[in-house]
Amino acid sequence: MMAIYWLKSLLRTAAGPTAAAAAGIALAVALASVLGVFVFSATATMTERAIAHVPVDWQVEIAPGVDSASVESAVAEAAVAQAIRPVMYAKVDGFSAVTGDTEQVTGPGRAIGIGPDYLLTFPDQVTLLSGTADGPVLYSQTAANLHAGVGDTINLARPGLPDAKVTVSGIAAIPNVDSLFQAVGVPAGLAPQSPPDNILILPETMWHSLFEGQRAARPDSVRAQLHIRLDRCRVPNDPVDAFGAVKHMANNLAARLAGRAAIADNLAARLDGVRADALYAKVLFLFLGSPGVVLAALVAIAIAAAGRNRRRREQALLRLRGANIIETLAKPAIEVTVIGSAGALAGVVLAIAVLRLIGISVASMGASTWLGFAGFAGLAVAAAAILLPAARDASNLTVATARLCADARARPLWQRLWLDLALLALAGVIFWRVRATSYEIVLASEGVAQTSVHYEAFLAPVALWLGLGLLWIRLARLALTDGSPLCRRILAVSAGDLAKIVAASLSRQAGRLARGVGLLALATGFAVSTAIFNVTYDGQAHVDAELTNGADVNITGSTAHPAGAQLARIRATPGVAAAEPMMHRYAYVGADLQDLYGIDPRSIGAATTLANAYFDNHDANATLAKLAATRDGILVSQETVQDFQLQPGDTVNLRLQSASDHQYQIVPFTFIGVAREFPTAPKDSFLVANSEYIATATSSNAYEVVLVRATDPAAAAMLKSALPSDPALKVTALGEVRSLISSSLTSVNLAGLTRLELAFGLALVGAAAGLVLGLGFVERSRSYAILKALGASSAQLGAFLRSEAIVVGVAGLVFGTVTGFGVAWMLVTMLAGAFDPPPDTITVPYGYIGVALLGAAAIAAIVVAGFERAHARTDPASLKPE
Amino acid sequence: MTPADVEVQGLARFFGSGARRVVALEPTTFTIATRERIALLGPSGSGKSTLLNLMAGLDTPSAGVIAWPGIGPREALRPLAVGMIHQFAALIPTLTVAENVSLPLVLAHRPNEDAMREALAAVGLLDFGDRLPDELSGGEAQRVGIARVLAHRPRLLLADEPTGQLDEATGQSIMSVILAHAARNASTLIVATHDAAIARQMEIIWHMNHGRLLDRTRRAAT
Repeated sequence: MMAIYWLKSLLRTAAGPTAAAAAGIALAVALASVLGVFVFSATATMTERAIAHVPVDWQVEIAPGVDSASVESAVAEAAVAQAIRPVMYAKVDGFSAVTGDTEQVTGPGRAIGIGPDYLLTFPDQVTLLSGTADGPVLYSQTAANLHAGVGDTINLARPGLPDAKVTVSGIAAIPNVDSLFQAVGVPAGLAPQSPPDNILILPETMWHSLFEGQRAARPDSVRAQLHIRLDRCRVPNDPVDAFGAVKHMANNLAARLAGRAAIADNLAARLDGVRADALYAKVLFLFLGSPGVVLAALVAIAIAAAGRNRRRREQALLRLRGANIIETLAKPAIEVTVIGSAGALAGVVLAIAVLRLIGISVASMGASTWLGFAGFAGLAVAAAAILLPAARDASNLTVATARLCADARARPLWQRLWLDLALLALAGVIFWRVRATSYEIVLASEGVAQTSVHYEAFLAPVALWLGLGLLWIRLARLALTDGSPLCRRILAVSAGDLAKIVAASLSRQAGRLARGVGLLALATGFAVSTAIFNVTYDGQAHVDAELTNGADVNITGSTAHPAGAQLARIRATPGVAAAEPMMHRYAYVGADLQDLYGIDPRSIGAATTLANAYFDNHDANATLAKLAATRDGILVSQETVQDFQLQPGDTVNLRLQSASDHQYQIVPFTFIGVAREFPTAPKDSFLVANSEYIATATSSNAYEVVLVRATDPAAAAMLKSALPSDPALKVTALGEVRSLISSSLTSVNLAGLTRLELAFGLALVGAAAGLVLGLGFVERSRSYAILKALGASSAQLGAFLRSEAIVVGVAGLVFGTVTGFGVAWMLVTMLAGAFDPPPDTITVPYGYIGVALLGAAAIAAIVVAGFERAHARTDPASLKPE
Repeated sequence: MTPADVEVQGLARFFGSGARRVVALEPTTFTIATRERIALLGPSGSGKSTLLNLMAGLDTPSAGVIAWPGIGPREALRPLAVGMIHQFAALIPTLTVAENVSLPLVLAHRPNEDAMREALAAVGLLDFGDRLPDELSGGEAQRVGIARVLAHRPRLLLADEPTGQLDEATGQSIMSVILAHAARNASTLIVATHDAAIARQMEIIWHMNHGRLLDRTRRAAT
């Protein structure tokens, strides 16, 4: 009965504030739900996304003389395979074809035989370009070498057997040619194993008819493999766990095979490559996602607790009338039920709508669990924020004290214990310790199953964020207390000659206002830091794309078919502002094979960006000038310098392959500087030298790569049309590479996470500014009514309202922006491993920050205007004490 | 001829509508001349506070007309021309006693510390200037409300149960202060009370009951 009474009373007298409080809870619940479901969904699909483009999970190469049926049986017994398909490989001494009056002859190649359903099982292995796949299919590069097409007859020179002829039925690209022809079972670190240029794909039966005899005559020239697709249900969702699981399965199979076959574990190799990425994706969820949830909880608590004084007075009245403590908690309990339930339900509905909008399913058990948990947490937070203080007040305060309205004048415990400075010190200590590890938060060494994540590093940004929030509260309270001259001078802008009395009034609310400043600062700091991290990451992804692709457009050929041969045609293509050739060779530095880039240092800058950060001396121009002045000069990586203890001017002897006899010979270079990054260069060690010197030393002036600076986004397409149809030439635009980089686990997860957080960040800043201010105004409605009754004009009443909004707003937004910059800098520094390459500085999205700050200011202005209007007329009833 | 301070024609105030309508003040017509001392006598709920709020310009009538020809339009009534002592001390909890008392003068851009101190002294609270309202007893808060009105010397002084929270002796003392202040400043004084002793100190007594002005009696000069 009393519950219904209280419910009616609440809805009749405080419907607006109740709805506003429920809205705040809804926003907090929605943010927590969306983040939780997003993280769950992203984590659940990480392995799936990581291995989506692995063409063949395992390639099991059967040892010569071993019965393939026994090997296939062993694989089937291991019960890990979803599909097993045999593939036969035969060496061919050469292909030849007569077209027109000319005969083309190629070097050695391979003929592979595949079953009729192979391409159905492994569709990514072959891309048919023309003709059909039901007969002999020629590799596109081989077709180019032979000038052969569909319907042409080609000759196969079989070792140990007479030549054979086949009629080409199709031409195809082999996207994963490196993997298809990898050497299985050889130790790593040997010379690079290039795939054959000449390949013929035959139906299984045709292959057997052509090469069974060769197998008998020359068993060393024929091998058999089993291509296996694993049962993906056995692969865990977490790529780190998946790597371990797949390795175990491969080891188990190897034990069963007992030397009868060797396994090329493509799936584990891919998972190994993405382990660090996956761990960083998870770390980013923790570092960037959890502050959002904490902030949502803080906003919910602040909003729910806004009516504490009113509840305290009501409880005092009830106790005056003889109610016991339990009975006095009945109305707060009703408030909790209404605000908490309505807020939780609205929050879950909002979360579902947002998740549907971004294409995330909520149908799974995990998603439903998160939604339910977040809704319950919202209700629990509302209960804690309302009932705990109510119970504490009812137990500890006398009736008389409880009826007092004034803000608590005693400093809170955290302030007396200097918790703000303690947290900042903690942040500094942890940051300094992480710095000592060179910011290696995630360790997942290639080929080593062990991984480690320094989760404790997460405490640094959290402690910084919370510590700064508390510090701002302390400083705001200090500035507001006793109507400080600073405060009065600031308020003179909004309050004019009422500045002194307004400052005095605000000083007696210093605690409440300071908490509002702290909350707004935390919300703003969260939004700003997320935005800065996101834009910095995006910027580095662009730098990564530029470094990977080398330029706006990259045209790569081979030594046999160099892109440099088309330089004139490239330069003449519309949309091309500049094109520069570059050599890409390989050289042995001791026993280490490294990529060697040959450039003209005087002109390379026309086609590509060479940032100062790419070189150890931070001066690209000086480095290139030095290279131009030193004919045999060479730039090496820092690792090479350390490995070989190099000093500037030292001679570095490299072994380069000569084009004349294909033998490696020693070529001396002079070490002149360190290159950390170079367009198209790999992450590990590489070398940069003068192309003219390399050409002389290797008897080959082939420029394998051409870098293009474009003025037209369509330049890549125009170049593809302009260049001759040569499968050896590959044209790549910067945008394509950017898309590829943006598809990494970290990139995809970060993009999704930050999009959500940036949107919610704006909403939370608005909620902190609007709801906290507005609910505070509601609490002091009687004071404003008294002011109006005493004759305050609308402008004078507005001075009180505006001054509070300005104090909370300006301090909160300024402190929050500082917090955001500080936290972002710390996150970018600590998570340097997630960036490729790590940034030198943070990038600031002034547009987003401007929108957030202006939006918060606009919301505060609307709330002030609303309350000015609401109090435009006096209402004698509102003068009565509550 | 000096214009009246308050002129009322068919003034009425209702709350709600239809079957739920409450008539707080039935239509009434009267004029209050300047410097008159009026006691508005009636039991609780008789409409005294409603009438005072209307005369103070704090409320708008549901019917009829009210004007203040001797003072000015409604906008000119506050903060200085009309002073209202409320039944419940309407103090702003975040301002000190001194700041609360000074507030009408500050709102009128005429801050006057001397006037504030004089008013506090008159109600015996000169040493309470730095206290906050939640540090005052009910009676002390009531006296601060009175001081706030006295400080700006209104032409029309309206008091709604000004001694309601005071003991008898203090109440009489405060009433004397109010009367002396009104006399000194030539203020028109209207006091709503159910205390006959206070009513006897005023020259005109109006009886009210059930929202109706029953009679107006001018007491014989003594």
